[in-house]
Amino acid sequence: MIRLLAVVLGGVAVVLGVAAYRVQVNNLTPHSWAAAQVVVGWAFVTAGLVAWLRRPANHLGPLMLAAGVAYLARQLRYGEDALLFTVFFLLGDLCYALVAHSILAYPSGRVEGRWPRRLVVAGYATVIGFPLAILLLHGSQLSLTSLVGPQRSLLFVADDAHAVTVLQKAQTAIFYGVLTSLFIALIVLRLVRATPRARRMLAPLLLAAVALALRAAFECFRTFVDHQPLAYPYLFWWQVAAFIALPLALLAGMLRARLARVGVGELVVALDRAPATPQTLQDALARTLADPSLELYFWLPESGDFVDAAGAVASLPSDDAGRAVTMLEQDGEPVAAIVYDPSLLEEPELVESAGAAARLALENARLHAQTRAQLRQVRESRHRIASAADDERRRIERNLHDGAQNRLLALALELSAAQRRLGDEADPEVDRLLAASVEELQSTVEELRTLARGLYPTVLTEYGLAAALEALTHRSPVPVQLDVYSERLPAQVEATAYFVASEALSNIIKHANATRGSIAASHEGGWLVIEIVDDGRGGARAGGGSGLQGIADRVEALGGRFGIDSGPDGTRIGAEIPCAS
Amino acid sequence: MRVVIADDSPLLREGVAHVLAENGMEVVAQVGNPEALLRAVVELKPDLAVIDVRMPPTQTDEGARAAVEIRARDPEVALLLLSQVVEAQYALTLLSDHPHGFGYLLKDRVLAIDDFIQSVQRVAAGGTAIDPDVVSQLLGRRREHDPLDELTVREREILGLMAEGRSNRGICQQLFLSPKTVESHVHNIFGKLGITAAADDHRRVLAVLTYLRA
Repeated sequence: MIRLLAVVLGGVAVVLGVAAYRVQVNNLTPHSWAAAQVVVGWAFVTAGLVAWLRRPANHLGPLMLAAGVAYLARQLRYGEDALLFTVFFLLGDLCYALVAHSILAYPSGRVEGRWPRRLVVAGYATVIGFPLAILLLHGSQLSLTSLVGPQRSLLFVADDAHAVTVLQKAQTAIFYGVLTSLFIALIVLRLVRATPRARRMLAPLLLAAVALALRAAFECFRTFVDHQPLAYPYLFWWQVAAFIALPLALLAGMLRARLARVGVGELVVALDRAPATPQTLQDALARTLADPSLELYFWLPESGDFVDAAGAVASLPSDDAGRAVTMLEQDGEPVAAIVYDPSLLEEPELVESAGAAARLALENARLHAQTRAQLRQVRESRHRIASAADDERRRIERNLHDGAQNRLLALALELSAAQRRLGDEADPEVDRLLAASVEELQSTVEELRTLARGLYPTVLTEYGLAAALEALTHRSPVPVQLDVYSERLPAQVEATAYFVASEALSNIIKHANATRGSIAASHEGGWLVIEIVDDGRGGARAGGGSGLQGIADRVEALGGRFGIDSGPDGTRIGAEIPCAS
Repeated sequence: MRVVIADDSPLLREGVAHVLAENGMEVVAQVGNPEALLRAVVELKPDLAVIDVRMPPTQTDEGARAAVEIRARDPEVALLLLSQVVEAQYALTLLSDHPHGFGYLLKDRVLAIDDFIQSVQRVAAGGTAIDPDVVSQLLGRRREHDPLDELTVREREILGLMAEGRSNRGICQQLFLSPKTVESHVHNIFGKLGITAAADDHRRVLAVLTYLRA
C-alpha cells in the first residue's frame, strides 16, 4: 500500500519537477538555477520516500516528502496564470515550515518539547496567514514575485498596495527574523544538551539546518538593512547547498543505521571467532552500536547481583541517571543488562538485534563474569585471611612477651630470691635444684623470645622493614649485603616483604651452602620490590608444603608476584607487592 | 641511691624492687604506666629510673618515649631501659640521643644479680650499659673482608666488653687482667680497627657500637 502510494507520489514529484523547471525557464531564470531548485525538491522527495519506506511508523518520511513536493510546487507561483499563482502563492511557503518541522522532528518524527512545538505551529500560521492576507489585498496587476509580468490574485477583495508591502515586510521580519532566530537557538540548545553519542549522530543534520537558518535570517537583513543585489547569486547557491545537504544528512543518518545493522552481522562473526570474555563482548557491542560508553552487566542468579565486566558487583543505573537499560533474558530469566546512551533508544531494533546476536556469547561471557566474580571474592578472602593471620601472629607475639615471659621471669626472680634467702644454710641439694630451676626458666624465656621473633618481630612493628631486615642479617652466619629503602609502608606489605626475606635467608643458611648473599628492597610506583640473591648451589623451589610455597601464597594473596630463579650458580628470589590495599 | 621502677607487670616489678633493695638501693616508687612514671620522677627526683620499654596503653614503646621525655625535662636522672627484646638499631638510636647515664638491657639480666647490680650502679654513676645480646648481634654479624678477623680472641672479648659500656677497670675485674694489659689491648684494638680513641667511657661505647653497626 505504502509502496504504491510512494510510486504515485514519486511520479507526482517528477511531473512537478518538470513543470517547475519549465515555469522558471519561461521566466528567464537561468537554466542552472532552475535545475538546482528542482534538484533540491527531488532530494527532499527521495529522502522522504526512503525514510517512509524504511520506517513507515515514523512521520519524518511523509514530512520530508511533503516538504519536497511543496518546494517543487512553490516554483509554479512564478507564472502569469492566475489560478496557479493564487494557489501556490498561498501554499508555496509551506515548504519552509515543513523543512523546519522535519528538522525539529528528527529523528523520532515527533516534535518534543513545548517550545519546538510552539515554533512549528507559529511557522505554519505565518506561512499560510500572511500570503492569504496579501492575496486578499493584492488588487494591482503588478508582480508579487519580482517577475516582469502581471500576477492576478483570484482571492482579491480590496486593493491596498501599501498594506501588501507592509504585510510582506512583516512576514519577512516574523518568519526570517523572529522564528528563524528561535529555531537556531533551539537547535544549538539541542546540540549542547545531547549525549555524546546523540551529538555525533545529530551533528551533520543540525549543522546543515543551522546553515540554512542563517541563510534565512540573512533574508531579513537584505529586506531591512541593505539590499545588496550583487550578493544574490551567492545567497542563492548557499541556499541550494544547505537545502541539498539537509536531505543528504538525513539519508546519511538512515544509511548509518543500516551500516550499524551490517555491523551486527559482523558482530556475530567476530563473536564466533574471538573468545567471548565479558570485556571483549562489551567492546564489540560498544563498537557495533557506536557507543563507547556502553556497559554490560551480567546477572548472577546465585547471589542475585549484577557484576560488571571486571567481575565487581555493580548496580544498574537509576532511571534518572541519563542512561538507557535493555534487559536480555533467556527463558524469562535475566542474563545480562546493556546500559547505553539513551540516544540509541531511537533505534530500539538496533539494540535488540545486537543483543540477540550476542545472546549466545553473552551466556558464555556471563559464565566468565561469574568466574571472575568468584575469583575476586576468593582473592579478597585470601587477603583477609593473610591479614587476619598477621594480626593473630602479632597478638600472640605481644601476649608471649607481656604474659608468659614476664611471669616466668618473675618466677625465676622469686626462686633466686629464695635461694639467696636460704644462703649457706641451705641443703646443697635444694640449692642445686633452685639454681637449676632458675636456669631452666631463663632458657625457657630465651626460647619464647626466639619463638615470638619468628612470629612477628617487634622491631618490624616499631621500626619498619629496614630495621627488621638489619636485625635479621645480624643473626645470619652468611654475610649479607643490605640495600633497603627507608620509608614506612602499610604493615601488611612490610610484614610480607619481611617474611619473604626471612624465609629466603633461612633457605640460604640451611640449604644453599652460600658464601654470601644480598637483600635489596625498593619502593617504586606503588610497589615494594624485594630481591634476595645468594651464590649457593641452588635447588630452591616452591612446592610441596615448603616454606617458600607459603611465602609465595602470601605474596599472591596481596595481589603481588613471586618468583624463584635457582641454578647451580645461585638463587634469586624476588617478590613484588602492591602497596595500596 | 633512690630508684623508681616502671613496669606494668606487678610480679616482675616486685621482683626487681626486691633485688635492688637487697643490694642497698632505695626503691622510692613502683609504677605501672608512663604517666605515673613521669609524675613520680617529678615528685621524687630519683637518681635512677628503671623502665620497661613496653607499657600500656599500646604495649609498644611507651616506656622508651617516657624515657626520652624524662631526659629532656630532667637530664640528671639516669635511665635503665629493660625490654623483652633488644635490637641494635634501637640501642643506637637511644644511645646517640642520651650518651650519659643510660642503660638498655634484656629483662633476663635481672637474674644474673651481680652483673645486673653492676650495670645499675654504672648507669646511675653516669656510665653506660648495653646488653651483651646487642653487642653479640653486632660482633657476630658476618661481613666480607671483616676487619674483626684481624683481632685476637682476647681482643674481641675486650671489644665486646667495651661495647657493653664497661670501663677499663671493669674489664680488668671481669677478665682478671692488669690495667696495663687491658690498656695495651684497647690500644691495639683501636689501632687495628682505625677507631679514634674517645675521651670518656660512654663516648667510647658509642664509637665502638657505631663502628660495629656500620
